[in-house]
Amino acid sequence: MSAPPSRRPANRRPPNRAPNRRAEEQARLAAEQAAARRRERRILVVALVAFVVLLVGGGIGFQAWRTNRTPAAAPAAPLAAGAGATITNARPIVWGDPGAPVTLSLYEDFHCPHCAEFEEEFAGVLTAAQQSGRVRLELYPMAFIDEGSAAAANGMACAAEAGFGPSYFAGLFANHTLKWSDDQLIELARVSGAEATPAFTTCVTSKAHAGWVESINTAADQRGVTGTPTLFLDGKAVDMASLTPTGLETMIAEAAQQ
Amino acid sequence: MTSLEPHPPLSAAVRGRGAAVAPWISTAARLILGGVLLVAGALKVIDPQASVAAVRAYELLPTGLETLVGWGLPFAEVALGLLLLTGLGTRPAAAAAGLLMLVFIAGVASAAARGLSIDCGCFGGGGPVAPDQTAYGREIVRDVGLLLLAGWLVVRPRSRLSLEPVR
Repeated sequence: MSAPPSRRPANRRPPNRAPNRRAEEQARLAAEQAAARRRERRILVVALVAFVVLLVGGGIGFQAWRTNRTPAAAPAAPLAAGAGATITNARPIVWGDPGAPVTLSLYEDFHCPHCAEFEEEFAGVLTAAQQSGRVRLELYPMAFIDEGSAAAANGMACAAEAGFGPSYFAGLFANHTLKWSDDQLIELARVSGAEATPAFTTCVTSKAHAGWVESINTAADQRGVTGTPTLFLDGKAVDMASLTPTGLETMIAEAAQQ
Repeated sequence: MTSLEPHPPLSAAVRGRGAAVAPWISTAARLILGGVLLVAGALKVIDPQASVAAVRAYELLPTGLETLVGWGLPFAEVALGLLLLTGLGTRPAAAAAGLLMLVFIAGVASAAARGLSIDCGCFGGGGPVAPDQTAYGREIVRDVGLLLLAGWLVVRPRSRLSLEPVR
């Protein structure tokens, strides 16, 4: 019930014992506390600003490193290297048995994140379907995201021409966070188990198939392709939102039987 | 029990309840704004190419700056998100987040005014889309909502469940 004894003397201190000094003391204490609080506040703000600046600066450095490093080998080479393809304006790169019963037309941009996810999820099904002779795959590499997309699409055409298209294709998506400089595109040939021949190197650096890339973009526009990845099965658009690997397998099997 | 106690004056009761509730509103504002920023930033950090492409789609910055903003902005969002979620430096962090929202609103509005058809790239992705797939109205409404939360936090930065020492 009673107040703590320690507080009593303070309350009972005779008023004639230098009240001014006490008030001064209190003011000094309050000022000290306020100064300490301000100092603490300043330290906190400086620490927080340093945190943000370091994170952003480090982040920019990290992304610069990530997009400029050399490509890594793709997990598995999807198809055996075939004969060199002929690159014809507005015509896709074609893999698989030319007489296969099912035709899949695939529109992808090498810098489109959803395309990289699609490849990660569906590459197995697509490769197996080509190997079993059921599917003929038409690849339309579109380039609408950035210069890297166009450079990669050009490199893709160069690789298809040189006969190592499928492994190069897998490598492009396995390394889709790279910016695709000429050096990276040439290095990718090496890590894809192919040889970066002078012809291939020149094809990449001179953007030999830039016109073809343009023509593929135009062809996609004309077909009404507005986003990537877009997939047509025997000319009919596949609903990508609900597609699963087993669902695609079933669709291919059913189409092959007709 | 309660009925036996004398009722405090109404104004005091209301003030008391307001003082008790406001820090919790600030906590909710902190968690929503910080959570959205952290997720938005993290989704863009994953793919630096897409992030730069999303910035480029606005056609507002010179090439070098597009790259810097595309790489740096997601980390700034992550940093502000972390500060808001932990409650460290809530007022300056909320002020910065509010400023960011103003920039986003201006960017989206300018894209709409110039007749571009792009995705805002707010949560990764971004870049050109089909004209009927733009969502400028929804994007601006969402950013205005987040701007209001940031404004609330600038006015009332004190909140519960915060690492910042409360005095």
